[in-house]
Amino acid sequence: MKQQQRENAIVFADPERCLGCHGCELACALAHSGTGLHQAALQGLTLRPRNRVVAAGDVMMPVQCRQCEDAPCACACPTGAMLQEKGAVGVREKNCVGCKVCVMVCPFGAISVKHEGSEEATGRTNGGVARKCDLCAGTGREIPACVEGCPTKALTLVDLEEYRQSLIEARAAELAQSLQFLKKRKAKL
Amino acid sequence: MTLNLTTDPSAATLLPIAKKEGISTVWDRHRAMQPQCGFGQLGVCCRICWKGPCRIDPFGDGPQRGICGADADTIVARNLIRMIAAGAAGHSEHGRHVALALQGVSQGKLPAYQIRDEAKLLRVAAKLKICTEGQEIQAVAAAVAKATLEDFQSQDHDAPCNWIEATLTKERLERLQALHVVPHNIDAVITQIMGRTLVGCDADPVNLILGGIKGALADFNGMCLATEISDALFGAPAPVVTAANLGVIKPDAVNIAVHGHNPLLSEVVCEVAQQMDEEARKAGAKEGINIVGICCTGNEVMVRHGIPLAANYLSQELALVTGAVDAMVVDVQCIMPSVAEIGACFHTAVITTMEENKIKGASHVSFKEETALENARQIVETAIEAYKRRDPRRVNIPDFKQTAIVGFGLESVVAALATLNAEDPLQPLIDNIANGNIRGIALFAGCNSTQVAQDSSFVTMAKKLAKNNVLLLATGCGAGSFAKHGLMTQEATVEYAGDSLKAVLTAIGTSAGLNGPLPLVLHMGSCVDNSRAVEVAVAVANRLGVDLDKLPLVASAPEAMSEKAVAIGTWSVALGIPTHLGTMPQVTGSAQVTELLTQTAKDLLGGYFLVELDPELAAEKLLEVIDERRKGLGI
Repeated sequence: MKQQQRENAIVFADPERCLGCHGCELACALAHSGTGLHQAALQGLTLRPRNRVVAAGDVMMPVQCRQCEDAPCACACPTGAMLQEKGAVGVREKNCVGCKVCVMVCPFGAISVKHEGSEEATGRTNGGVARKCDLCAGTGREIPACVEGCPTKALTLVDLEEYRQSLIEARAAELAQSLQFLKKRKAKL
Repeated sequence: MTLNLTTDPSAATLLPIAKKEGISTVWDRHRAMQPQCGFGQLGVCCRICWKGPCRIDPFGDGPQRGICGADADTIVARNLIRMIAAGAAGHSEHGRHVALALQGVSQGKLPAYQIRDEAKLLRVAAKLKICTEGQEIQAVAAAVAKATLEDFQSQDHDAPCNWIEATLTKERLERLQALHVVPHNIDAVITQIMGRTLVGCDADPVNLILGGIKGALADFNGMCLATEISDALFGAPAPVVTAANLGVIKPDAVNIAVHGHNPLLSEVVCEVAQQMDEEARKAGAKEGINIVGICCTGNEVMVRHGIPLAANYLSQELALVTGAVDAMVVDVQCIMPSVAEIGACFHTAVITTMEENKIKGASHVSFKEETALENARQIVETAIEAYKRRDPRRVNIPDFKQTAIVGFGLESVVAALATLNAEDPLQPLIDNIANGNIRGIALFAGCNSTQVAQDSSFVTMAKKLAKNNVLLLATGCGAGSFAKHGLMTQEATVEYAGDSLKAVLTAIGTSAGLNGPLPLVLHMGSCVDNSRAVEVAVAVANRLGVDLDKLPLVASAPEAMSEKAVAIGTWSVALGIPTHLGTMPQVTGSAQVTELLTQTAKDLLGGYFLVELDPELAAEKLLEVIDERRKGLGI
């Protein structure tokens, strides 16, 4: 039996609503740290968001991994650390050597390879592995922390199947209305 | 609307009504405000110039300096001491107001006010080293007012403010002078904080915090003079039995809620309301006029006259939702702007009274000391008119009120102790601290905050500390919490106090003629009256010949939110008192400032901040601190 295929979900940022407050970055960094805001600050932890708020022209919006269906990073990764799993492009951090091929091929600049939290640079390693938005997989959240943390609701988690369905239904409803109108006109003639 | 945001039983009755009526309350707005900005919570957001706003990345390789070059330590310190300046400004404006009223009385210009407590005025004069021998009371008042107003005027940077010099232990004063943090002029110190935190000025976190401590001590100075002169004008508190929580609102009376902070307004409203009782009855109110208090002005008239307390900070809106408050008269501080809108949902007249504190949608009666009586009359008339428009079908007064025995300033505490030992009233207290019957003293102060389920941290901590024989004092919204939850009763002492504390409270209460123990928590008054607790502590310290930082004395603001609390907490630390905060202060974005306040302060001042959000753990930590201090004294 064929598996039904769904596209990976994406975080959509509405540039009309984004204020550039960086709240999504803070929420993302904390969500992946497993600790609270004040504790992390008091411990002086190094935490990194997987999204970046950028300003271009007169709009601002966070940019993060698009969870590509044919992901260049996953194709290029020499160790197989980048792969399609559970409806997103995942990173198996323990398999990553930090070679940065994925960084070079990602068209969105959505990947960074730096150490974080308790990882320490030593003489032998810089302690960095590839990190990017994983839709908060493994953080036990229903919706990604950035979406939750946005004060202006500029971010949404989009399920493409539902998105397309609602578009199709909306257009069909408009066509149905036209059809009704034509039928009425025909009846009058 | 979940109810775990407050432990006030009245809320369970009134919040569903608010919801049904489409009235949003402080808790709804708190929920709508989630998530709150993390940068602001850490204190690393700077809005001090228009190149900004800037914020520091607390975790990664984002910006570590603002556009001007200020780092997280500088930004956090500047933000913090600006809050202290605002707190000090609030208290000191209140104090200035009261001092000017005393001056007016001494000049015979204010018919609405008298010196009701001449003995207190004489004590204040003696404290300020003013010679009163053969002086008329008016002349003493003039001299006290003059010495007090000097604290707002002196340009001699080396001379401490008169009040702080007269109040503290000698050793404490010297220690603070060595750090150059003793204020010489309240206004100048507040102005200096605003000046030094301007773009491109003081950027050294340590220097900034020391400037903030000076501001906090200016706040203390302003509080002392506000409290003591209010006592002279209106009478020092004496024990009185009254009640608290929204059940004190009466269905058959014209209910006037006095809300805000300054007794200059609430005292006169109480007095005029008594005279106009008959007019209210004529308007159909069988029970005449019923004054109830909200927040600190409520505490002021509660401890002086036994006026019942309807609500503390977070319940102020609920008082309006009862539909039975005919007028809410407000002056300054802690008045939610939402009260005007909620009042408009009912027949309630929300009346602002101060030129510099108006609220959109409220009506305004310009209250001046010179015309206080007619202003108050106009306010009470407005309330009676509003009463005629009250819709009885919309009245929902929760059936919750608790008895509260309140009114324990230094004088009434000493008077109660004097019944045990007239020669040396402090001796019984000191003996009982020394022999461990009283393990220590804790002062509960501060606000309510939506970060904590209303009143819960106060009540949890108090029960635990009392069980461990800690003598409890309270002011402000903390005192309001205890009054509302029935912890200011003799029954509470019987139920919650540890055995030895119970014995002491019973001995004092019985000999003072209360036919039973003192209440579990002693209500010392409003927020501005925190200076009363210091007075008691200084009296004990002087008697023992030690400084304040040696006493088994702690302070706690488990639900703090206002800038006034930031200032009070900071002077409490500066006076050598370990001070607990139960809400997270907005400083954790700077390791240096956090360390300064929680660690370094210990060596510099003897007092320090202890942050613990869990009330159970907080009580345990305070007990440890008390025991550590006892050990230091060898008791």
